[in-house]
Amino acid sequence: MNPEPESAVAAASSASLPLREEDGWVTARPTPFTEVLARLVMLPKLVLEHRDLITTSVRRDLEIRFRGTLLGWIWPLIHPMFLFIVYYFIFTKLLNFKIPELPEGQESAMGIYMFCGIMAWAGISESLTRGTNVIVDSGNLIKKLAFPSEILPLNVTLVSMITFGFALAVFLGGCYFTPIWPPPDPVLLLWIPALLGVQALFTYGLVLLLSTLQVFLRDTLQIVGVVTTVWMFVTPLFWVPELMGESVKPYQGMIELNPVYHLVQAWRGVLMGEVTVPLDGVPTTVIDTTRIASSIGIFALWALGAYIIGYVLFILSQRRFADEV
Amino acid sequence: MAGPKRIAIEATELGKAYRIYPSPAKRIAEALTWGRYQGHHAFWALQNCSFKLSPGASMGLCGANGAGKSTLLKVLAGTTAPTKGGYRIDGRVASLLELGAGFHMEFTGRANIVMNGVMMGFSKREILSKVDEIIDFAELGDYIDEPVRTYSSGMGLRLGFAVAVAVDPDLLIIDEVFAVGDMYFQKKCVDKVYEFKRKNKTILFCSHSLYDVRQLCDEAIWLNHGKVMAQGDSVFVTNEYSAFQRHNIGEMEEVLGDIFPTKTFEQDEAPRQLPGIKDARIYKLGTDEEIYQITTGDSIEIRIWWFNPTPEETPVHLGLAFMRQDMTTCGGMGTHLDGLELLGTGGCAIVRIPDIHLLSGQFLVPVVLFDEEGVHKYQEYLMPDNLTVRTHTRDVGLFRLEHEWEFTEDAVPPAREDPQEGTEKVKAGEGA
Repeated sequence: MNPEPESAVAAASSASLPLREEDGWVTARPTPFTEVLARLVMLPKLVLEHRDLITTSVRRDLEIRFRGTLLGWIWPLIHPMFLFIVYYFIFTKLLNFKIPELPEGQESAMGIYMFCGIMAWAGISESLTRGTNVIVDSGNLIKKLAFPSEILPLNVTLVSMITFGFALAVFLGGCYFTPIWPPPDPVLLLWIPALLGVQALFTYGLVLLLSTLQVFLRDTLQIVGVVTTVWMFVTPLFWVPELMGESVKPYQGMIELNPVYHLVQAWRGVLMGEVTVPLDGVPTTVIDTTRIASSIGIFALWALGAYIIGYVLFILSQRRFADEV
Repeated sequence: MAGPKRIAIEATELGKAYRIYPSPAKRIAEALTWGRYQGHHAFWALQNCSFKLSPGASMGLCGANGAGKSTLLKVLAGTTAPTKGGYRIDGRVASLLELGAGFHMEFTGRANIVMNGVMMGFSKREILSKVDEIIDFAELGDYIDEPVRTYSSGMGLRLGFAVAVAVDPDLLIIDEVFAVGDMYFQKKCVDKVYEFKRKNKTILFCSHSLYDVRQLCDEAIWLNHGKVMAQGDSVFVTNEYSAFQRHNIGEMEEVLGDIFPTKTFEQDEAPRQLPGIKDARIYKLGTDEEIYQITTGDSIEIRIWWFNPTPEETPVHLGLAFMRQDMTTCGGMGTHLDGLELLGTGGCAIVRIPDIHLLSGQFLVPVVLFDEEGVHKYQEYLMPDNLTVRTHTRDVGLFRLEHEWEFTEDAVPPAREDPQEGTEKVKAGEGA
């Protein structure tokens, strides 16, 4: 305790000394490049340190959706189940869409094919629309509590991955317990964790990027709305690139520039097998591990890129969030 | 700075500017040119603030709305980054910038305790081990398992405060939280802060009540428009500030805070019998004649009938003041200020004031029953009538100063050695 006013003068005059971070000083200096790199690599450590915060808020987010509802936790299952039934009946039974190359008894699998793609797409698009606003919406938390704000986009990503997990469960349940589609090869199931991992990384990177942009430019949310609509149609959800024939050929290169194309192809490869037309004319579904691996590989590169760009921009802007929201 | 004495918190030339963009287009232009084009103008909410506190010290911030108090606390709490200078903190920080920030209305009090705790950086295990203590302090009883939306505002505040103080920080940052809640809750908060002080914790504190700042803090900083106007001993700073405020008629409310804190409270529940004042009257000294119109130089006594059902748990102090109608406190006294103790469960306290020097005017005489620290007010009692003073002399001002005149023939003043006496004031920017 130093009640004399002179103590204040002494403190002020010491300001000419450099304030170094090594001595515990928090200063206005922008985050150095080495620290940005360190944080990119050390994300798992941050997640581990704040695992209680992450699990509590993810659970809270999920609970908010279903709290007070009669069916509660059954709801996340009902939504994909209905989607599955609707696609199955409309495209398979009603419209009798066919994939002609498919083997006997599986020709009318168009509905399942679509469901599979839409399931993967919905996981990403839901995160983007919900996640773009996550920092702005949590303005009060960011202003009043000191906590690592990268946890907010992470929560959005995890919540959408969990709802995606429910849809995946419905699909696998449909394969195992109904005659609609044969269950995937057990070996292929081993790919699922890897696919979930890269999908989460890709989604997290994009949400980091978009939520940062939204803080500084509120038009981002509108742009995201337009872009996701276009994106949905250029992704082969309602059409099968292999079966479109000559009209798609000139654009094949552009189609493959879409990262979600590779994700959807990988999910279909794992869950449904590959549709091939051999020379002798009898179409079959085969398991093409090389195709699956290359799809995952290309998508993983995109995911890593999205994560690096998104997180670097986030780290560099993070210090100004509280002033802007 | 490498001394053996530990420093709990240290700030050096701390400044915070907010960027104001006239339009989103300018913001984009600035981003696209990588900052080479400056589309914003800076608003400095805080400038050049330096201080040091050792463990166990407490510092108060005072100043009008928009003076930069909250900005300084936000920077130190780590929710926003400084624009200039820096700070360092030794130990764990808990900040109460807003009671119950992050509470979710649909969830139970218990669920919110855990969520709020992990949000403040504590593990679930730590929080769970403190849940009982928190529920106990918040006095929510069975309500703890009800959704927070069913709580009264007072209950929400109690819960927020209970969570924040349960985590046992080394540095506690508090922004204006005593101004809310009912009287009983305010008393608990003040007690908790004193408990922190006893445990050698450091407290940073911001309040509109200069009385609270003076009572709770050893040191203080007065901020005005982001600049440090005065800093140092809390009595010195609060006096500087209230002197400044008297020139600002527009901010009269703050002057009232000089001696008697103005607090708004809702009486959302009164669970126990609190100490109080039954009556207070002014008599002519030594007689039973009640008198509210006096002449300067008269002698009076003020009798206060008070009660305190639980003297062991809630020791009390009595205080009273003479306030002019423009809320200038002309004089005041208190048992805590005079170092006396008020024992027993009740009685009549008599204050004898011979030879009142107040000059003519109307005076409000609030009588206040304080807690043992002289911070929290159990009750503020107003006299049945204002005290009206008439004056026969022609003195000016608030008081008649005893004086006499003498006239001599000597027309030359004696020579002086040192015409410049150093002033004790510390103004902003002097040390930079």
